[in-house]
Amino acid sequence: MNPIDDDTLQAYVDGELDAADAARIEAALAHDDVLARRVERARAVRAQLRAAFDPVLDEPVPARLSALLQPRSAPAATPAAPHATPAGGHRATRRRTTHRRWFVPGAALAASVALLAVTFWWWRPGGELVRMQGGQSFAAGALTHALDESLASEPKANAPVAIGLSFRSTDGRICRTFVLRRAPARAGLACRSDAGWELPVLSAVATPEGSELRQAASGMPPAVQAAVDARLRGNVFDARQERAARDAGWR
Amino acid sequence: MNSSDAVREGLIPLLPRLRRLARALAGQVADADDLVQIVLERALARAAQWRPDAALDKWVFAIARNAWRDELRARGRAQHLFAPEEAGELAADGTGAQPAQQLELAMALAALPPDHREVVALVLVEGMSYGEAAELLEVPVGTVTSRLARARATLQAHLGKDA
Repeated sequence: MNPIDDDTLQAYVDGELDAADAARIEAALAHDDVLARRVERARAVRAQLRAAFDPVLDEPVPARLSALLQPRSAPAATPAAPHATPAGGHRATRRRTTHRRWFVPGAALAASVALLAVTFWWWRPGGELVRMQGGQSFAAGALTHALDESLASEPKANAPVAIGLSFRSTDGRICRTFVLRRAPARAGLACRSDAGWELPVLSAVATPEGSELRQAASGMPPAVQAAVDARLRGNVFDARQERAARDAGWR
Repeated sequence: MNSSDAVREGLIPLLPRLRRLARALAGQVADADDLVQIVLERALARAAQWRPDAALDKWVFAIARNAWRDELRARGRAQHLFAPEEAGELAADGTGAQPAQQLELAMALAALPPDHREVVALVLVEGMSYGEAAELLEVPVGTVTSRLARARATLQAHLGKDA
């Protein structure tokens, strides 16, 4: 029997093969554990992506988006939801009441968003350090605390989080690199937004067996380095600037 | 009903899928909804170009992909496509714990090159066939297959790490 290449296997997993080819794969699967594992891994990617993104289908559509699809001649009647800012102020006056289910009054919408804003906590030994909110990750717990309070110029040897560089990003926000020392060690970049410390990148760090990372700046994974390079304009903060930024609430 | 009304009415039920696609492409919630807004505005402005015998979803998804590419070009390699919006605008659904794997997978997706990311978004997230994705992207089916295989290998590596 011919070996089954990755493209064919992938086409099988994605339902792209005709019946005869699919049957050939299925026959092979029955007695080939390695092949079965490859199929399982390819399916897992798809399943995990759906699990990550399908919840978006059930989120309330922001009013500013659905408002764009309202007939332009209709008079205004629905108060604007406080968090749903139309791109142009003139659009708000064109909004109208409607029975469509995603058009709920502002207060109710705000309440449901508050309820829905329940975040996913990332459980790891050592506490939850990352939360998911709407497909976006933010620092939580001890990581938030460290990003808020710790200064790279005053490192604490036993702190679970080590802070590396701090700098002002090209988009004006303050960003800081960090390393989570406890296994599994991870390094990342956090950028300050109104919703907290957003984590555009979080990456595994290779550490020697049984040891902890001592230096936040050394051995940054390439993904973190690239994220810094993409955002860094000018210099990283020195000790005085870092302290001043902390005193100013990282604005 | 003129074509503008037909497109506007037709887009309403497509909004959730459009937002999901935008989330897979743009990553950040606020960026994704800014992208959706651009897409809706473009779709309405070009409503006359839509032929009623063409599927509206594929037409608007093509607009979304092109708008995303335009934004990427405009912003260079910056990872934030749009200026950060006010916080708390959107939320996750709160149906349960999110495995660490899923979080890492979403981050791995965001790190893929645009060519790979759009194929993953169209085929694995939106559920298009290879042929449909190829048509939308205006590339041969073989190109979709090979990009998807490489993207999948990258994502699989992330899944495997903690599994």
